[in-house]
Amino acid sequence: MDMTGKVMMVTGASSGIGRDTAVLLSQLGARVVLVGRNKDRLSQTLGMLQGTRHTIEAFDLANTDALPEWMKSIVQKSGSIYGIAHCAGTQLMLPVRMLKSQQVEEVLRTNVVSAIMLAKGFRQRGVNDAGGAIVFVSSVMGEVGAPGRSVYCASKSALHALTKSLALELAKDNIRVNCVAPGTLRTEMLEEAQSLLTATQIAEIERMQPLGFGAPRDVAHALAFLLAETGRWITGSVLIVDGGYTAH
Amino acid sequence: MTRAEFLQALEESFEVDQGTLEGNETLEDLECWDSMSALIYMALADEKLGITVSGEQIINCKTVNDLLDLLDDKLAA
Repeated sequence: MDMTGKVMMVTGASSGIGRDTAVLLSQLGARVVLVGRNKDRLSQTLGMLQGTRHTIEAFDLANTDALPEWMKSIVQKSGSIYGIAHCAGTQLMLPVRMLKSQQVEEVLRTNVVSAIMLAKGFRQRGVNDAGGAIVFVSSVMGEVGAPGRSVYCASKSALHALTKSLALELAKDNIRVNCVAPGTLRTEMLEEAQSLLTATQIAEIERMQPLGFGAPRDVAHALAFLLAETGRWITGSVLIVDGGYTAH
Repeated sequence: MTRAEFLQALEESFEVDQGTLEGNETLEDLECWDSMSALIYMALADEKLGITVSGEQIINCKTVNDLLDLLDDKLAA
């Protein structure tokens, strides 16, 4: 999976899957454009990368209308972008009876609209001229449901449908579009455990994953595989990386 | 917001008749209490009082009053 000299954009690069993917892509030789809202945390990621000429772009992807022009400005600094690992996203756990439309719209904007506008920005002339690849990060929740997760599940499922249509539409531009659907990772679980779940509920989720909780690197490997030459005949696919959660 | 007002907000969100909850009820005996209602309680605590309650805090609650006690700092007498 040699990516020497290729410019790879990683969104959500401040933590978790995004951070680990950025590190892995740099180890494979890529020049990485780190995207996130918090410049300090992006700087921390930058310090973990191998090699040089990586850059930081502090940008809120919820600013969807500005996204395509912002991508053009990046190319002027970093050169043509070969691939995007879109790891940014948000979660919501709330029963439907408590939902407010504003909360729904915020999740859909962050998880779905941003992905669409990122793809629009990527395929613009001048941003990607030689073909490349986009990989979205969704969730197993895009394939199965869970109580209290209706909006989150809908947003991740939308990414799966988006992946297939974009793959067909962008094939003529030599752009592949795929999606990785992770199960529960140890890092995310720890965050959730502090706010919403009990130890018993966490143990129950772990029991549902025959291989236990995953690590960000487990997902990063899948992203790199799909972005690199190894994925050259793969487009429109959703690769589930979940330790067996959906095998039940 | 008073304890009585929060109790009323809980009743509305749990979709039970007004006066169903008085405070002394044991949670495991309540038909309307399950994992979803725990999430509803957490959302109400955040929305009405700006208090973040954890799942572990709730697991230690035995009665409705225990739930209200977690919010005591922000509930008016």
